[in-house]
Amino acid sequence: MRLILIDSPEEVRGNFYPLALNRPLWELRCGFGSLEEKLAAGVGAGSVAYFVPDYMAAAYRAKVDRPVNDSSVLEGDDLLIVDPRVKADSFNVACSGPSEVGLDEQGGLLYARVAKADLAGLPKDEIGRFIEAAKAKLPNVTAELPAWQYIWDLVLENAGQITADFAAAGRNGIEGKVEQPNAIRGSKKDVYIAPGASVHPMVVIDAESGPVYIDKDVEIHPFSRIEGPCYIGKESVLFGAKCREGNSIGPACRIGGEVEGSIIHGYSNKYHDGFLGHAYVGQWVNLGALTANSDLKNDYSTVSVMLDGRRSINTGSTKVGSLIGDHVKTSIGTLLNTGSYVGAMSIIMATGKPLPKFIPSFSWFLEGVVTKGFGKGQLYETAKVVMDRRGCKWSEAERQMWDAVFEMTAPIRDKAIKKGRIAMLNR
Amino acid sequence: MATVEERVKAVTARVLNLDPGEIKPEHSFTADLGAESVQSVELVAMFEEEFGIEMDEDAALSVETVGKAVEFIAEVCRQQGVDVN
Repeated sequence: MRLILIDSPEEVRGNFYPLALNRPLWELRCGFGSLEEKLAAGVGAGSVAYFVPDYMAAAYRAKVDRPVNDSSVLEGDDLLIVDPRVKADSFNVACSGPSEVGLDEQGGLLYARVAKADLAGLPKDEIGRFIEAAKAKLPNVTAELPAWQYIWDLVLENAGQITADFAAAGRNGIEGKVEQPNAIRGSKKDVYIAPGASVHPMVVIDAESGPVYIDKDVEIHPFSRIEGPCYIGKESVLFGAKCREGNSIGPACRIGGEVEGSIIHGYSNKYHDGFLGHAYVGQWVNLGALTANSDLKNDYSTVSVMLDGRRSINTGSTKVGSLIGDHVKTSIGTLLNTGSYVGAMSIIMATGKPLPKFIPSFSWFLEGVVTKGFGKGQLYETAKVVMDRRGCKWSEAERQMWDAVFEMTAPIRDKAIKKGRIAMLNR
Repeated sequence: MATVEERVKAVTARVLNLDPGEIKPEHSFTADLGAESVQSVELVAMFEEEFGIEMDEDAALSVETVGKAVEFIAEVCRQQGVDVN
């Protein structure tokens, strides 16, 4: 059986911006790993293939060694086509069996199980046509499968996912190096320190409220406190961090200060003091010293987020921090309001006041307003330098993908720049 | 109607808080007039607003002197069909 992950239409993908601007939804993380890892492990697929939006296909193809937007995967095997928003731990559909198309109440596809024998009657030239034909020709069922609706759902469920993933991993004990004195609170069965990990003296690992998983080659510096549930990804380093419950960090992150209930993708830095709570942070982000976000309003009401710069969405939760896209850089002392959206590739220079709640992608936020700044060419140069430092390459395919993101996000950014111009003229 | 040079000097004076009479074509925005990097961004933005043009950021920010800015802006105006004569 071949698992095929198909990305959602733009109006759905927008619920996962800014993180989904430059990655398919299954690359989003929750708990120990990506949504794809959870789905693939759950269904036990022999092979996996992907269909992503055209603008990111070349860049994604360069990152993975599996077929991307390759119609030939639509033949030759039984197929299980899945919308990655379906929560893996609730995906109880048998992987083999007669063909069946599972739809949500609005008629959107959640999964399609297509037996090899039924493939002959379906068009293979384009995934959208394939899905429409499958819906029309194969038996449909209404499936009540829980699905991720918004990016903050991943943050809010992260602690529970870590606990579930720890149990599924089935590992505990100390295989890395732990220098004394050190303290492990709670049951040692709820702690795993992987080979190559190094825990310096004067570190507290508190597993009383949930498990702590410290992955390979992690380094934990003195005076760090790690509260479970927590997952620290490979090669990440904690610099005396207060790592409160519910964090998934890394791989290869540098973390200091106070972090709570947050998901941080790989190669991002929050080296210095400052609070990050209930946030979702992309790759290649650098948060300057004393960057802090609010994740709770003073009146304890539910937090609203603007994902498109126009319309506020009530998250229904009183705890939502910032959504920070890839390659964002913040200056020292940046203050992020509750439920802030910081678009990908943005540069933020603090003003001493909380930022506006929506910063468009590719913004240079200077002197309190959104500007064109030094342009996207300079942002690309910085991205290249940052990636080179970690042995990663900025490719032509990547540049083209970001060019597409730049165009997609231009209307709302141009509006913000215009507003900034008016503010400049009135100074 | 003010010339391109007069308008460039007026914008520069307003953004950098200077007397327009002190600004000479040979002055460097950074070395002579004290523009910091953020002010350079603001200058480009305000030139675009003043003349109703769009400038390429990399090209605009590489202009070093007031006189070169006058030439650069006049050329962009010509290319974009903005009458400044």
